[in-house]
Amino acid sequence: MRLPRFFAKKRGHRRTGSRDWGVFGDGLFHGTLLVAGLCFGAILVSGVAAPEWRINHEFRESKGTILAKGLARTTVADPPGTVITSWRPCLRVRYLTDGTVRESWSHGPSAENTPDREAALRRLAEWKLGEETTCWYDPSAPQTVVLQRGYSWWLWLLSLLLPGALVLIGGTGLVRGLRAWGKSEEHRAASVGLSELLDPLAQPAQAAPGYPAVPVWDDLVNSPGTILRYRLPIESPESWTLVGFGLFAVLWNAVVVVLAVGAGLDLLGGRIDWWLFALLVPFLGVGIGGGVLFARSLVFATAIGPTQLEISDHPMLPGRRYDVLLAQGGTGTIRSLTLSLELEEQATFRQGTDTRTEHVVVWKQPVADFHDVSAEPHSRFEARAVVEVPQDAMHSFTSAHNAVRWRLVVRGTPERWPAFSRIFPVVVFPPNAELAAPPPRPLASRDALRSTEVTR
Amino acid sequence: MNTAADRSQAMPRVEVQFDRPHRQHEPRDQVAVRYRIEGCDGERIRAIEHSVLWYTEGKGEEDLGVHFFQRITDRAMMPPALSTGAFSTPLPQSPLSYEGLIVKVRWCVRVRLFFDGSRDFVSEHVFVLGRIPPARLSESRA
Repeated sequence: MRLPRFFAKKRGHRRTGSRDWGVFGDGLFHGTLLVAGLCFGAILVSGVAAPEWRINHEFRESKGTILAKGLARTTVADPPGTVITSWRPCLRVRYLTDGTVRESWSHGPSAENTPDREAALRRLAEWKLGEETTCWYDPSAPQTVVLQRGYSWWLWLLSLLLPGALVLIGGTGLVRGLRAWGKSEEHRAASVGLSELLDPLAQPAQAAPGYPAVPVWDDLVNSPGTILRYRLPIESPESWTLVGFGLFAVLWNAVVVVLAVGAGLDLLGGRIDWWLFALLVPFLGVGIGGGVLFARSLVFATAIGPTQLEISDHPMLPGRRYDVLLAQGGTGTIRSLTLSLELEEQATFRQGTDTRTEHVVVWKQPVADFHDVSAEPHSRFEARAVVEVPQDAMHSFTSAHNAVRWRLVVRGTPERWPAFSRIFPVVVFPPNAELAAPPPRPLASRDALRSTEVTR
Repeated sequence: MNTAADRSQAMPRVEVQFDRPHRQHEPRDQVAVRYRIEGCDGERIRAIEHSVLWYTEGKGEEDLGVHFFQRITDRAMMPPALSTGAFSTPLPQSPLSYEGLIVKVRWCVRVRLFFDGSRDFVSEHVFVLGRIPPARLSESRA
């Protein structure tokens, strides 16, 4: 018998892992998750859910008298070297079981455990010594008695959620592996149905009808232009930087506030935790830095003003010419404003445990170049230009890990601010494509816009 | 233990002939393929798969799109009863073959043989769909 090889040759010079071992490892991983989920679920159900269910369904009701009360202390080492202590009210009850008088300490639900001793004492005070109360005892072990019934919903939720997630991930992985077992990669790729449900992340982007691997363009033509037919949506790298800085500043400073409140309460209580203060100082510095960076980016983003690009038709076809309208708002002077048509390749690959995406602009055609552009608050800069897609251009292409994207890029160098770039994605179809009708839009508004274009 | 000679004897050959010279096809063309299987040396084939597909090459993970797929399990349609086969399919309008810098799109025909046991053998034959010239870094056509 020959064992599968650990490495198999792919194309070119790259070596990749053996598919047989990959399938085995994948199956082992998902099988382990499934078994762990089932075991974890069984433990939670038998340890938490089943006892509560028995108390509510199988324990018999009786009358009891409270004879004594106290707090039960539970001490757990967590982590090793330190201990966590929790408290739970306990009541000694005299009650009747099938003609026999018994005395026993009540067993409360584990959810009653609290690390706050004062809270446990307050709950204990609600019970009065000598008080007659309803109790429930276990018919199979009559010395087990409880004074309260009910469900700890969060425990039930926990006991379903965590094992449920493990069972779901492990089960779908196993089903996916079993469905692929013994099939060639062509057979798997040709199979339709459950694969999208079982592996949604591996599915390619939605393709234009009749044009496999050409991206849909609906999102690019759902906004009418003011002069030309469509206003293209913007994809601004600066906007994502702004969002990133904003998120970082908010999250980091939230941590700083929590630390500062803790330190302040310590100070008010007359204690000084020097470690906390030592930690707070660098955290505060980074927090202030993050806030300043965010504020600076926000000022840049808002000071330059919006850029808009309108186009006479979309999607684009090789060999055709299209009118574009570039509009730049804001105030001040922009020393240089350029518009170019670019073709970018994008490849996503795994490097160790990281997923990386590389972008390369492989073709670039300047369309228009403007100098000393002045924009006023109530009068934006506008200019028209013509874009021509080369006759032999590669069409827009998108798959799960690779893409060829066309885009119109506006780059500006303001007089007082850093340079900016704004990207307007477009879709280029294969040559001689017979385009379907664009997505439905209100005809009245389109006609109105067209008449605007004519009158200018 | 297999010797080199044994292994070469066990390696089948699939000779494929396209209907178009230079394997150059246009979108919506019909691609027709004839093939001949040789060198099975008595190994029994339990299934043959025909496929026409595109795949990506380059820096990214490989993506695959199967345009045509056919699995044959009829013993009368495979060696030793029959050592030749043919299939054809109209090609789609996209994606076109593309030789980019970090993304390449290739079209190919594959004939995959499944032998008794778990062994399989695939024969791949690349062809070109469309006439897109190769990309060159930062080429400007202004």
